[in-house]
Amino acid sequence: MAASKMKHARSQPCIIPGGFAVLPIQFSSDSGAQHKLYVKEHKVRAEKSSHRPLDRTLFVLNIPPYCSQAVVKELFSQFGCVHSVELRDHPGSSHESGPKLSKFFKPAEKKGFKVGYIVFQKSRSLKAAKSHPHNEPLVVCTEEHPVKTGVQKWIQQYRESFIQPEKLQEIVDSFMEDYDNRKEKEEEQQRKEAELQQEDEEGWVKVTKGHKGVKARPHSEAANKRTLHKEMRKKKRKELMNFYTWQHKNTQKEHIAELRKKFEEDKQRIALLRAQRKFKPY
Amino acid sequence: MKKKQPVAEDEEEKMSPLHASQEEESDAPVKAKRSKPDSDEKDVVYHPVKLSRSDLYRPPTAEELNQLKEAESLFHCSLLKMQMEELLKEVALSEHRKLQIDTFIQTVTKLLQTVPDSPEVEVNDLSWLSDAVKIPFLLLPKTTKGKFHMTPPASVDLIGSYPLGTCTKPRIMVDLAVTIPSDVLHPKDVLNQRYPRKRALYLAGLAQYLTSCNDIGPMRYSCLHGNRLRPVLLLTPPDSSSFTVRLHACPPPGFFKPNRFHPQRNNIRTEWYTGLQNFQSESSEPPTPHYNSSVLGDLLPRAHLQFLSAIRSQCSAFPEGMALLKVWLRQRELDQGTGCFSGFLASMLLAYLLTTHRISNTMTAYQLLRNSLNFLASTDLTVNGITLAKDPDSTAPSLAEFHSGFQVVFVDPSGHLNLCADMTACTYKHVQHEASVSMQFWDDPTVDGFHSLLMTPKPMIRTSDHVFQLCELVKLQSTCKKANLLNELMDQSGNYVDAALPFILSLLQQGLGQRISLLTHSLSPVPEWSVESEAPKHKAQPPLSFGLLLRPELASSVLERGPPADSPKAAEFRQLWGSRSELRRFQDGAITEAVLWDGESMCQKRLVPKQIIAHLLQLHADVPESCMRYMGAMVDDVIKTGNETTGEEESLLVVQAYDDLSRKLWQLEGLPLSITAVQGSHPALRYTQVFPPQPLKLDYSFFEREKVSRSLLPKEGKPCPAYVTPVTVICHMEGSGKWPHDRLAIRHIRAAFQISLGELLNKHHDYTCRPCASHLDVWKDGLLFRIQVAYHREPQVLRESMNEAGLLIVRDNEEAQALETITIHKPLLTSTLHGLQQEHPCFGAVCRLAKRWLGAQFFSEDVTEDTADLLVASLFLQPAPFTPPGSPQVGFLRFLHLLSSFDWRNSPLVVNLNNQLTATDYTEIKNDFMASRESLPVMFIATPKDKKMSLWTKRAPSVQMLQRVVIVAAESLKVLERQLMDGSQIQDVRVVMRPPLEDYDVLIHLDPKQVPLLSQAVDAPSINFSRGTRAIGKILPGGALPVIDYNPVTLYLTELREAFGDLALFFCDPFGGTVIAVLWKPKAFASMPFKTSQMSARSAAVTGDEVSTLPNVEAILEDFSVMGKGLVKSVDARTEKWSF
Repeated sequence: MAASKMKHARSQPCIIPGGFAVLPIQFSSDSGAQHKLYVKEHKVRAEKSSHRPLDRTLFVLNIPPYCSQAVVKELFSQFGCVHSVELRDHPGSSHESGPKLSKFFKPAEKKGFKVGYIVFQKSRSLKAAKSHPHNEPLVVCTEEHPVKTGVQKWIQQYRESFIQPEKLQEIVDSFMEDYDNRKEKEEEQQRKEAELQQEDEEGWVKVTKGHKGVKARPHSEAANKRTLHKEMRKKKRKELMNFYTWQHKNTQKEHIAELRKKFEEDKQRIALLRAQRKFKPY
Repeated sequence: MKKKQPVAEDEEEKMSPLHASQEEESDAPVKAKRSKPDSDEKDVVYHPVKLSRSDLYRPPTAEELNQLKEAESLFHCSLLKMQMEELLKEVALSEHRKLQIDTFIQTVTKLLQTVPDSPEVEVNDLSWLSDAVKIPFLLLPKTTKGKFHMTPPASVDLIGSYPLGTCTKPRIMVDLAVTIPSDVLHPKDVLNQRYPRKRALYLAGLAQYLTSCNDIGPMRYSCLHGNRLRPVLLLTPPDSSSFTVRLHACPPPGFFKPNRFHPQRNNIRTEWYTGLQNFQSESSEPPTPHYNSSVLGDLLPRAHLQFLSAIRSQCSAFPEGMALLKVWLRQRELDQGTGCFSGFLASMLLAYLLTTHRISNTMTAYQLLRNSLNFLASTDLTVNGITLAKDPDSTAPSLAEFHSGFQVVFVDPSGHLNLCADMTACTYKHVQHEASVSMQFWDDPTVDGFHSLLMTPKPMIRTSDHVFQLCELVKLQSTCKKANLLNELMDQSGNYVDAALPFILSLLQQGLGQRISLLTHSLSPVPEWSVESEAPKHKAQPPLSFGLLLRPELASSVLERGPPADSPKAAEFRQLWGSRSELRRFQDGAITEAVLWDGESMCQKRLVPKQIIAHLLQLHADVPESCMRYMGAMVDDVIKTGNETTGEEESLLVVQAYDDLSRKLWQLEGLPLSITAVQGSHPALRYTQVFPPQPLKLDYSFFEREKVSRSLLPKEGKPCPAYVTPVTVICHMEGSGKWPHDRLAIRHIRAAFQISLGELLNKHHDYTCRPCASHLDVWKDGLLFRIQVAYHREPQVLRESMNEAGLLIVRDNEEAQALETITIHKPLLTSTLHGLQQEHPCFGAVCRLAKRWLGAQFFSEDVTEDTADLLVASLFLQPAPFTPPGSPQVGFLRFLHLLSSFDWRNSPLVVNLNNQLTATDYTEIKNDFMASRESLPVMFIATPKDKKMSLWTKRAPSVQMLQRVVIVAAESLKVLERQLMDGSQIQDVRVVMRPPLEDYDVLIHLDPKQVPLLSQAVDAPSINFSRGTRAIGKILPGGALPVIDYNPVTLYLTELREAFGDLALFFCDPFGGTVIAVLWKPKAFASMPFKTSQMSARSAAVTGDEVSTLPNVEAILEDFSVMGKGLVKSVDARTEKWSF
């Protein structure tokens, strides 16, 4: 619908070297200045995640801070149905997802300029977006879709920060239940592995491929270091340091070198202070 | 380094056969540096020394070995020795300068020999003097008897420090004694100022002759150590003024009999002085000791020089010792002015110590200084005078007689002259105090003795807790009249300032009593005036300043309890305090005389000394309060709260509320785990919050209400509601196996604890609580506490992670550090500083002033609250060379001085909290610091708990910001001190709190309505907006929660910094600032190639195949107003400053 109109527009899209199309964007229809969005089809050699299908994802640079996910979705739906929007601080592959968190436990998001990965329903929307003429800016805040900024937004934020204690308790409970389940499963797994290591009635132990449940060696770095340290100490105790003549000579040489260094240091310190006129009393 | 090394090596090898002493050795690197013109002087930074392998391990010579051994055994000392040698080089006269002086002296001597004779006239007849020259003397009374004529001097001799070799830079003074031929004088001239007047005339005659000579620059008169009876003529060569020759006119040696100048004899007759008929006999005339000593002083300079030369030839380190002593005195402003501890006096003191074998001839300059300070600290010359006279003749006065005439006694080798005649007891006490304090610092291995003794100036305004000035000195005439000081006035030949000063000092000492530990006064500076003008009047001298060193525990007491009504001392007490004294009955049943001063709040109580001084001066000295400028609390205004207090009371209220809450938390029952600690971590809980939170009573109609959670909401379109500061409290829960070992799970469990804490507090104590994921807000008595539950193993859990091989590794990360800072370090710092406040009652106020200044000057983002508190703490814990600050004002001045003068680049600031660090810790900290200077924060602050990291300054300030802080602090200090000490300046201390806005690129002006802390602004606006609070009534527990921690300005700033932090810096005064200053980062405005990771707020320009990007300034400026809609009034882009 919107895309078909675009084809007849007189103005040409602006494509800069590197393959990015420039989309101007302004906050409201009466703003005087524009930011420039740089859009390009999402192309990487190895995209593992299925969230960003290569043929339907638009990569957008320089999204202003007042454009939330919903706003971006709204803005780009003129090029075709938007499936999902992902806003990030920096370009890069998507996060590995941990357990699902409620918004109250998520770390605070940075509200700066973002890069976006917009997944359309259809791949032809990409083309529509890229061929948007460069003198028709996108407008963020329109009468149909007002965007709150400044004091209004902060008041809204403040209102939204409230949570009922009961609700919070519920979130905590469900998370902990989930957590306990996971823990239990892990323990189960471990117990199974441990069982496997047990001798069977004929005295055989089944040796499996090294797995993390197996305790063959100390399992943390600190413990590793401790053992290493112990070994070193043992070695040192055996070694004689003042047995050969060259060892004697070496220690003496080191001592003098140390003194020389100290003396030079002092001299430099004084010279430095003198250079800064630090000895002028008034 | 590679390039530099050969030069240094060459230098050393050339020197090595020569270097007999260490000095030459230490010259080498500097010479090497100078030979390299490209080495930038500004950029000298300490680099860890790197010597090449061949250099380190080359075979040592025997000589070098010795030297190294010596340096090793005296490691600390050798550094000090080098430092002192450098200092001596700075103050010693160069050979070139000496040559200049010698030739000039020769010219002057030759000229003086050719002074023409003049006919004999009456002393009163001044007609022979031309108009170009005036007599350097105040002729009061107008006439005296005697005849006078000019004739060439009998002899011209060098005296004083120059021939002795103890003359030092700066202010080089060469003394030249001109002997008045005996036929000009008469033995009876001792009487009635005849001799002093003849001497003045003789100088005027010389001046008249010398004006015609081209070899001499403009001449000026002055007087010796401010004694107006002893004028001198100052000569400088016409081309340079780097030194001054001081011409003294003296009688021929032995012309007057010394016994005429006995301190109990009279040489000024009342009849002559007052002009009234007097029926007293000569024997009942009052003694004139000061007059006598001023005449006698003229007779002896040659003898003194001889005596000192003999001493000097015995002790080789004498000149250097003198130089150090002079530097020490000068840094303490003791070496100039009336009654000063002059260089001459210092050399006599050294001579005394040498002749009495308290120091030996072989000692070094360092030891001479140490021993003289030790002597000064331990000897009280106001009670037990000392004498240099070996076997005085029978006519010489005894020490007791000297004590009856003078306050301080130090008798010269002749046995007749008191060298300390003009010194007041207070000045000597001052010297003594300084000496004993200096000895303490010297003995303390943790203090840099060299710096605090010899390098740090101690002006009165930065040394004394309170300072006041007497402005109109004419008023002291009426003091003399009221206190009946005619005899003193005669003795001081009409100088009413000097005559009244001892009286005023003793009056104040008596009145202030136990409240002060030291009373000092400024030495009135030596006047200098051109030969063409009349001698200045006594009132022309600048105001007299007095400094008080307070005893913090007693100084602010409002009650002066006197003796019981029936005791004989009661009359004395009543006499001292006049009508203010009244009978009072005390709780212990005693009825005593007492004076009650006004003072309800702490800030009024701090000014009790002012009330006392004003009252006493008015009552006994007839000096009205309008003549007095009292600088005790001039800067305190900027931290005044609405209730006209400086916040001590409010802080106390917060602390009490917190104590109550913490007790209630401890007593809670029914929690799954018990509470192990409740700790405050907010500045308000250590008395250092600039504007401590005040209990609020809310006007509900002002807000929107959120029914479900019983909370209030800000209303759109109304001014921003009053800001409610959350006071953070950390609540540690007991460790237990039940705690999960997972970061997310711990966070959820903490939230669960916060919920149940809230429920319990609400149930038992009816506080309104609102738990959320990260904290629990508790509304209690109009204050808001924010409780955060902490689990001590959480940082450890955050640090642990599993690597690919399934190995558990522990890695420090920012998240863990931040958590540790909040839950461990901050509470600890808070409790430690809380303790410091108990010890030093004005600690909190100093912190608050300091932070107010930092905020006003836009530095609060860089020098954070905790950093500022630590800096101030260091002023109290390591006050050398001062004593711990006793008033907010002096503390603030020293804070500025610390910021501006500390060598942040080359030394760590060690804050010895709780006195936990020992001397070895100090060296350890210093060595660690030196070894890894480059990687450490620019501002390095070490505390007992944090010796290597400088936890609080890790993030900020940056080098550039620190530089700016240093510059602004130095400038503020200069302006403030000038204003405080000079009454003629415009009196507006807030000048130092108004930042210059010219340097910034964009100014964002905010709507005052939306700035909740507007009333805390430096220049508080006259109109204030209703912010939904009511005048204080009874505050009931419970009720709806107010709008908490809602400040549009900080929200806006965070958004700006997050969005444009790479492009610009944003500055704002957190305390009611209505302007945000923006500074573009020059780096960001350089053209950059197109990169997907660096496109924030930039626009691309295509030239051929290249794509370069620049910040999209127009759009950014519009974003400023879009993002701050409702808050921003206007965005003022100073485009003339930048163009792209």
